[in-house]
Amino acid sequence: MEKKTQNNHEDILSLANKLRWDQGGAFHDTVIESIYAEAARIARKTVQQTGTPNAYNLDLRIDRILTSRWLGFPIMFLMLALVFWITVSGANYPSGLLAGLLIDTLHPILKNGATSIGMPWWLSGVLVDGAYLSMAWVIAVMLPPMAIFFPLFTLLEDLGYLPRVAFNMDNLFRKAGAHGKQALTMSMGFGCNAAGVIAARVIDSPRERLIAIITNNFSLCNGRWPTQILIATIFIGGAAPAYLAGVVSAGAVVGIAVLGIFLSLVVSWGLSKSVLRGEASAFSLELPPYRPPQILQTLYTSLIDRTIFVLWRAIVFALPAGIVIWLVANVRIGDLSLAEHFIHWVDPVAMFFGLNGVIFLAYIIAIPANEIVIPTVLMLTVLSTGMAGVGSGTGVMFELDSIAGTENILRSGGWTLLTGVNLMLFSLLHNPCSTTIYTIYKETNSLKWTLVSTILPIVMGLIICFFTTQLWRIVVG
Amino acid sequence: MNTGALILLAIAPGTALLTGFLTVVLLVWAFWPKNGLIAVLNRARMNSQRVLLEDALKFLYDCEYKREACGLHSIAGNLHVSSDTATKLLDRLRTMGLISLDEQNFHLTDTGRSYALRIIRVHRIWERYLADETGIGQMEWHGEADRREHMMSPEAADALAAQMGNPVFDPHGDPIPTAEGQMPDHKGQPLSTLQEGSIARIIHIEDEPHTIYEQLAALGLYPGMQVYVLDVTDGTITFAADGEECVLTAMFASAITVEPFEGNAPVTARHPTLASLEPGEEAEVVGISPNCRGQQRRRLMDMGIVPGTRVKAEFRSASGDPVGYRILGTTIGIRRKQAEQVFIKKLETTAHEQSA
Repeated sequence: MEKKTQNNHEDILSLANKLRWDQGGAFHDTVIESIYAEAARIARKTVQQTGTPNAYNLDLRIDRILTSRWLGFPIMFLMLALVFWITVSGANYPSGLLAGLLIDTLHPILKNGATSIGMPWWLSGVLVDGAYLSMAWVIAVMLPPMAIFFPLFTLLEDLGYLPRVAFNMDNLFRKAGAHGKQALTMSMGFGCNAAGVIAARVIDSPRERLIAIITNNFSLCNGRWPTQILIATIFIGGAAPAYLAGVVSAGAVVGIAVLGIFLSLVVSWGLSKSVLRGEASAFSLELPPYRPPQILQTLYTSLIDRTIFVLWRAIVFALPAGIVIWLVANVRIGDLSLAEHFIHWVDPVAMFFGLNGVIFLAYIIAIPANEIVIPTVLMLTVLSTGMAGVGSGTGVMFELDSIAGTENILRSGGWTLLTGVNLMLFSLLHNPCSTTIYTIYKETNSLKWTLVSTILPIVMGLIICFFTTQLWRIVVG
Repeated sequence: MNTGALILLAIAPGTALLTGFLTVVLLVWAFWPKNGLIAVLNRARMNSQRVLLEDALKFLYDCEYKREACGLHSIAGNLHVSSDTATKLLDRLRTMGLISLDEQNFHLTDTGRSYALRIIRVHRIWERYLADETGIGQMEWHGEADRREHMMSPEAADALAAQMGNPVFDPHGDPIPTAEGQMPDHKGQPLSTLQEGSIARIIHIEDEPHTIYEQLAALGLYPGMQVYVLDVTDGTITFAADGEECVLTAMFASAITVEPFEGNAPVTARHPTLASLEPGEEAEVVGISPNCRGQQRRRLMDMGIVPGTRVKAEFRSASGDPVGYRILGTTIGIRRKQAEQVFIKKLETTAHEQSA
C-alpha cells in the first residue's frame, strides 16, 4: 500500500515536470503577470480615488525644482553644508561642558576617592585612568555631535528630501557600479561610519548594499574631523605664510574629505568590476510624497536608534581599550614599558611609511574610537620621549588647550610636516573603529566582508603614505 | 631599537619607490580576478582528469539527444585535446563501464547516461542561477557553469534548484533534467529549416561555440521571442524577431531552435520602451522583455509594471538619468537601463481624455 502511494507521488511529480517542459520557459512569468494584471483590474474597478490631487500637484512642483538641472545640486550642497555647520558649531559648547564635567572634574574626584579607600595604585590606574577615562572621553566627544547630526539628518529624511538627493546623485553612483542611495549612507558616514553602515539597509539590492558598507569608511567621520583640523593647523597652516594659514589648513582638511569621496567612488567602481561583479543587482528608488516631519518621533528615533545605539557600542569597546592603553604604558619589562618596547621596535618600519611608532601603536590601541587617537598619541609621545612636567601621568590620555603646546609635544616627538601630511592621510585611510567593524559584521553577517572592509583601507593608507613619503624624499630631500 | 629594520631607512628613495611600485603591481597581479595568479592557480588545480571524463560524457549525451553520430574526432575536437588523449580517455570510460563502442561510434551505457545527466543538471541549474540571481553577464554563464558543474554535489544542486522554485529550463532554453534523470524529448527544429511566411517561437539558442553565441546574443535574440520569416534565399534567412528585422546565414540560423505554431502573424512593429517616454507623456505597459530576469524582473513587477498598467513619466533627475515615473499612485525612480526593458504603448496625453 505504502509502496503504491509512493509510486503515485512520483508519477504525479514526473507528470508535473513533463507538463512544465511542454509549457515552455515563459509559463511561470505568464502566471505571475496574469495574477498581477487581474489584481490591478479588480482594483481599477472597485477602488475609488478620493485623495486630493492638489497635494500631488504641489509635490510635483517641488520635485521639479529640487531635481531640476540647474537648481538640484546647488540646493543639495547648501542643505548638507548647513547640516554640517550646525553640527560642528553646535557641538562645541556641550562637548566642552561634558569634558569639563567628566574629565576635568569627575576624574580627579574618582582618583582621589580610589586613593582614600586604599585602592592600590595599579587598580585605580586600570579602572579610573584606563577604563573610566577612555569611556568619559568617548562620551564627551561623540555624544554632542551625534545628538545634533542624527536628528537633523532624520528630519531631512522624514521630510522626503533625502530620497531626492539619491535620485539626483544616482547617475554618478551608477557609473561607479553603486546605488544612488549610497549618497545618503555616505553623508551619514560623515556623521558616524557605524551609523552609515546601518543606514545602508535602505539599499535593497544586495550588491549595492555591500559596496555602500565597504566604502563607508572613506567618509571622514565626526571622530576624525578634529584630528584633521588640529594637524592641519599645526603642520600645514604652520608651513604657510601667517596670513594664509587659516585658508590653507582649512583647504587641506576639505581636500582630505574630497579625497575620501573620490576614493569611495573609485573603490566602489573597482569592487563592482571585480569581486562583487557577480552579485545580484536590482534598482528602484521610491520617491515618497513630501510630508511635515513628526518632530518628537524624529527626535526619539534618532536619539534612541542611532545616537544611543552607536554610543553604547562605542562605550562597550572603549572600556577594555582604556584598560589596554593604561596597561601598555605601565607594565614594564626591564627598564621600559610595553609601549616603549613596541614603539622602538616598530619605529624604523613606521618611518619607512613616513609615520612613526607612536602613531602605529596609537591606531592599534585606540581602535574603539577615532576620537581618542590624538590623546593617546600625546600620552605615548610624552612617555616615549621621557618629557617631564607634561600630561597627567603615565598611561593617562590627555589633550592640551593650547595648540602651541600640542605642537611642542609633537615636534619633540620627531614630527615634521611630512609626518603631519601622512597622519592626515592615514587618518582617512585606516581600519574603521571597532564599533564600525562590529557593526559591519552584524550587518553583513560575513567574516569575509568584514575583513575586506577592515584591511582594504589600511593597505590603501599604507601604500599612499609610502609613495607620498618616498616622493617627498626625492623632491624635498 | 629594532636594528634589523633600520636598514629600511637607509634605502634610497628611488629604490624604495621602485620596490614599492613593483610590490603594488605584484599584489594587483596576484589578486586580479579571472586572470590573476590566484585565480589561474585555482583553475589549474581544477583541470583534472575527472573534468575531462565528465566533459566527454556530457558531449556524448548531447550527440545522443540530438540523434547525431559521435566519433573519436568530434570528441577530441570538442574537448580540445589530441586524438591520442581522447583515445586514452575513451578507453578509460569503457573500462569504467560508462560507454560502449559499436562500429566507429560511441554510445553511453545506462550508468554513463545517468552520470552525464547529473552533470548536465548541475550545469543548467547553475546557468539558471547565474542568469536569474546574479549580475553576471550572459556571455559568462556558460563558462562559469562549466567550472562549477564539476565541483557541486547533486544534493547541493537540488538545494539550489529548490531555492529557485525548481526551474525546468536553463536560460538558453535547454531543459534541465530532473534529479531522477528524466528529460523531455528533443523538441523544435533549427531556424534554418523554416519556410518563408512561417511563424515560430525561439525555444533555444545553442551556447557553443562561443563565437556564434556571442553574435546571436549581440543581435538581442533570446528564448521566448516570436519570429516571422520574411525571406529565405540561398544560404541566408531574413526574419522579424519581436518586430526587429534580422538577417542570418544558415550556419548561424542553425544554432537557433524554434517551435513553429499556428496563429496570427506576431507584431511586426517593435514596441517602444519606457525609456522613450518623455516627461509629461503617458503610456500603458505592454510587457517586460524576457531578457530582464530574476530579481530585476520581480522588482519591476512588484512596482506594478505588468501589462495594462498606466505609467506617466514625470521628471528627470538633475543628472539626467533616473526618471521619476508615476505608477499606481506612487512616484518611482527607474534607471534608463531598466526602463529600456519595459515595452509600452504610448497614449494620447491626458488633456485629450479630460476634454472628451
